[in-house]
Amino acid sequence: MPIQEVRVTNLPHVNDPRGDSLLHTIKTFLGIHSIDRIATARVYRFEGISETDAKLLAQSLLAEDVFQRYTLNEPIIEVRGRTSCGGMSPIEVRGRTSCGGMSPINEAAVLVEVAYKPGVMNPEAGSIMKAAADLGISGLLAADASTEYGFFGTVTAAEVETINTRLLVNETVERVVKERPITLVISGKTADTRIIPIRSMNDDALMELSRDSLFLNLDEMLAIKSYFTELGRDPTDCEVETLAQTWSEHCVHKTFKAQLIVDGKPKKPLLKRLQQATADAAHPLVLSAFVDNSGVVALYDDLAICGKVETHNSPSAIEPYGGAMTGSGGVFRDIMGTGKGARVVASTDMFCFAPPDLPTDEVPEGCLHPRYLLQRVVAGVRDYGNRMGIPTNNGSLHFHYDFRAKPTIIVGAYGIMPAADAQMGQPRQGDIAVAVGGRTGRDGIHGATFSSGEMTHRTMDVNASAVQIGHAIEEKRMSDALLKARDEKLIRALTDCGAGGFASAFGEMGEHSGVRIHLDQAPVKYPGLAPWEIWLSESQERMALAVTPANLPRVLTICAEHNVEATAIGEFTATGRLEVYYKQDRICELDMEFLHNGLPQRTMTAVKKLKTVQQDHPSAPADWVQACTEIMAHLNVCSKEPIVRVYDHGVQGSSALPPFGGLPGNAPNDGVVLAPVPGKKYGMLIAHGMNPVLNLADPYHGSLWAAAEAVSNAVATGANPADLVLIDNFIWPYPDEESLHDLDQAVDACTDFVNATGMPFISGKDSLSSTYRARDGAVIKIPPVLCVSCFGRVEDVTATVSSDIKRPGSALVLVGQRDVNQMGGSAYFEIIGASSSRVPQIDLPTLPGVFNAIHQACRKGLVLACHDISEGGLLAALAEMCFGGETGADIIIPEDSRADYFLFNETAGCFLVEVENMETAWELFAGVSHLVLGRTNDSKNISIYRGASKLFATATGTLFEAWRRPMREVFGA
Amino acid sequence: MKPQVCILRTDGTNCDLETYYAFEQAGGQCEMVHVNQLRSGARKLAEYQILAIPGGFSYGDDIHSGKILSVELTSLLKEQLSNFVAAGKPVIGICNGFQVLVRTGLLPRSELGTISATLMHNDSGHFECRWIHLLIEESPCIFTRGMEGTVVQYQVAHGEGKFYTGAETLAGIESSGQTVFRYADPITGKATAAYPLNPNGSLNAIAGICDSTGRVLGLMPHPERYVETYHHPNWRRGHLGEPHGIPLFRNAVDFAVKNL
Repeated sequence: MPIQEVRVTNLPHVNDPRGDSLLHTIKTFLGIHSIDRIATARVYRFEGISETDAKLLAQSLLAEDVFQRYTLNEPIIEVRGRTSCGGMSPIEVRGRTSCGGMSPINEAAVLVEVAYKPGVMNPEAGSIMKAAADLGISGLLAADASTEYGFFGTVTAAEVETINTRLLVNETVERVVKERPITLVISGKTADTRIIPIRSMNDDALMELSRDSLFLNLDEMLAIKSYFTELGRDPTDCEVETLAQTWSEHCVHKTFKAQLIVDGKPKKPLLKRLQQATADAAHPLVLSAFVDNSGVVALYDDLAICGKVETHNSPSAIEPYGGAMTGSGGVFRDIMGTGKGARVVASTDMFCFAPPDLPTDEVPEGCLHPRYLLQRVVAGVRDYGNRMGIPTNNGSLHFHYDFRAKPTIIVGAYGIMPAADAQMGQPRQGDIAVAVGGRTGRDGIHGATFSSGEMTHRTMDVNASAVQIGHAIEEKRMSDALLKARDEKLIRALTDCGAGGFASAFGEMGEHSGVRIHLDQAPVKYPGLAPWEIWLSESQERMALAVTPANLPRVLTICAEHNVEATAIGEFTATGRLEVYYKQDRICELDMEFLHNGLPQRTMTAVKKLKTVQQDHPSAPADWVQACTEIMAHLNVCSKEPIVRVYDHGVQGSSALPPFGGLPGNAPNDGVVLAPVPGKKYGMLIAHGMNPVLNLADPYHGSLWAAAEAVSNAVATGANPADLVLIDNFIWPYPDEESLHDLDQAVDACTDFVNATGMPFISGKDSLSSTYRARDGAVIKIPPVLCVSCFGRVEDVTATVSSDIKRPGSALVLVGQRDVNQMGGSAYFEIIGASSSRVPQIDLPTLPGVFNAIHQACRKGLVLACHDISEGGLLAALAEMCFGGETGADIIIPEDSRADYFLFNETAGCFLVEVENMETAWELFAGVSHLVLGRTNDSKNISIYRGASKLFATATGTLFEAWRRPMREVFGA
Repeated sequence: MKPQVCILRTDGTNCDLETYYAFEQAGGQCEMVHVNQLRSGARKLAEYQILAIPGGFSYGDDIHSGKILSVELTSLLKEQLSNFVAAGKPVIGICNGFQVLVRTGLLPRSELGTISATLMHNDSGHFECRWIHLLIEESPCIFTRGMEGTVVQYQVAHGEGKFYTGAETLAGIESSGQTVFRYADPITGKATAAYPLNPNGSLNAIAGICDSTGRVLGLMPHPERYVETYHHPNWRRGHLGEPHGIPLFRNAVDFAVKNL
């Protein structure tokens, strides 16, 4: 039966927001102005059904005649010249050819259809299949959906090519459809398991095998060779791939576990130092640290909260939409797979890109433009979080030129669970291994190993299979089912299938016992997968369970009731071995001991590279208003509201402090406060801090800054410092000697921070591959990124604080220790073109006292508003507070400070606080460094005085518009 | 006895917990019911006095928002649903639930299986999450009794919320007083077409409508997200009275207690 095609478009008098939105982007981003309008249509294809059934689908499912029309097996957007030029395919790209007599108004100059590549799972197809069955249509073998774009106007073929490559088509997962497909069904023959003759390979051959897929070094390849030499046999492809995956930097953190030689002296491994600091802190609320998929701390009422923050840099660099989606999906599964299972209550996102106005010719070969990356990453986080019903309510965006080859994409998730379910489960002999959720396809093969390698100009071609499109609904229903199974006490252990897929999930669950898996039992998306591909596939939305044979039927029933596929695919043993079968063939048999402990420990050398000390002494700005406006419009200071508005940050009805508040609803708060248990006044708080610019200038003080900023954001909203714990994410260039030295410094900063404050790191992740190597050997390293996330319980969410100024006439006080001459890495210095290696140095000894003073003041209900000082300095913090209150302020700068440094210094751990009057300020902050600055007023100006004389005044409205402009330009209104 | 509230769930429902809590706060007795339980007969709609279809992304909002669930309801549960409505029991659809009620045909014309209005993609071209003001109109709606003429604040969170229909249907809705909520300007209290006060470009600023009986209500904004004082983004700036979502749910429960 031929494929049936249904095309649906909006009626002529109805607008087309998708087309309008694309047109806006084409004009503003690509500067192409030859298009008058864009009409879009959806194209649905069906295999196995009659034209009559296709018509029924069109009428009952696909098109709504209130605002749409459809065609059956015919074009719907007319293209200029299709008929007069004779039999042109509707998707043929036409240039400015004029075909006489045709009316140009109702005909597109060019029509382009964009579809997912065959094999890339289209989440919509499953819904179409379901609805067709509900409508009583039988025989539907396959369905697909794609989009047509009709460009009206005088656009040229060359311009359309630009639009395709830069906006519409990501060739990693998408293609332009040139002709009607013959079939939608993917077929294939299962490939045989291959034997890799590793025992006879010399060093060159071993490294050739490793390159582009295994990413292991020679020592590691030799360890594998020697293991099999001792066994007296050669490995299967499945065994080699399993080892490469388990030993990948992404999974096993070789650098963090390596013995270090730092500037000639031995030093303990980075991970040990972090874990030791956590152990020494002995925080009473910590229930689980560094052992499970996330870190867990106590809430109240025998409940617990957990947090995990992940990176998804490599996939997002080549396919930002799919990469960000699967990043979110993965970190949500980390929460779902903590202990016996948690419910995800919040999502966070922290991104670093090159500036969105980067000239196109400065985008390195094989990389995508930062503006495209930014828009698509936001879309990915939006579509996954919103559909899962998880509020994305804390995040930040950072820009630096050296992210032009590889962005940093960080996503976090937080969850809640009964404290009794907080500990990681341990499978026992005889337990059944169950695969739950989505089917296994050829998606994400080599994701773990790929993420561990440097990016090159070849990355996009070689590793295209490492990315897929996420299916949030699959994960949502799986979460619903697993929480029910947890509440019925049916789960012995569970974990998510992330990097490394089944191999990683079952390999880790069975580490202390043994496990036997039958891969032919695993449901697959399409035939033709080699056994090792099923084993290593990183298809999303899958989890691995251990349940007793007695509980298995009930687990399968619960899953079926939630439309979730669940399949027993093996059993846990006591053999101490990882055994994998495909039908009768044993395709993998590895000792768990070798798999998990056979990796040779690395010894790595770190060497300090002397950086030139620089300290400019620029003169004060001639035009103060201009300087303030430029600060507010700086990419690292400006409002990120357009991003927050596309995330559903209110779902779950838990919000007690939203990301943006204040009178007009567009003043940023420092952290987010949630009351995740309906009807209970206790809750939790989430914040974070990071500053790649400072990390680049000074890895130690930049890292201290990140930690201080994270905690300051939490404390500024009313958190009790005693209830806060931390999560670390190191996103670093490839650890050569110099970068490793920077990393060592950053870890020292983290442990010093823990020791000074008593706040432990309870979860963390490193991603040490953010180096790009061009064809000509040129190297681009990202600025090192340490993202510190901070979360904890809140006793009473109604005792928390927002940043908007509450009333005119109250006192403004600066609390915290800073040296305003430390201007290195500031937005101000960047704007005026000055340079200094003197970055802000956090005063660790006094910091806990400042945190505590702020908290006590909030607890007494005496803090009207509070905002911490960060990028943009005091001026930016004050301006944002005034925006939220629709107020002005008068500020007096001490005579002994440089006014510009006083206003623009970015030392974290300092707070701008609104209290009723000066007496309150003196009383509350008597024990810590503080300075009463002035008063709020009901004017529309911020006025700055130097002693008694007025230095300048600036309208808050001017600052507000400057602050809002940059992201509005990227994201539209 | 407390009225039994069916909180209908399916793949991708995600405002179920807060809708459950809102109805419990208002005095209802809630149960989460998966659509599969209705299909299998394990649960029957007739067992409940109130039906709530919560927000979310049922089946990913594939094809159109709420479409796949609408097809499921009108194809396989048509009789249960029409009996429920015919029995005079209140039905509320919030956000995705509103999209479902419109796509089943229950709103605005109470004709199951015949679609006469739609919720299109927002004019802005993107998802929109923000607090907005809503003017409550005079209408037969039982959910808003006593609230007519007031302006309430709820959060919207949707990508497909532009209410759209033909001129005739629109005139019919307006003349029979079926418009319950309109996006309003906070200063004037009047309906507005201005973005972002009207976040999606809805015709006549329509944010929610009822059927001619007033017992079936659909709205895009989320009343269940404002049932505690601290849910409001600016509760720290001063007292706004009873959380604006509460009366809506309480009216439905009171109605069920008195009439069912």
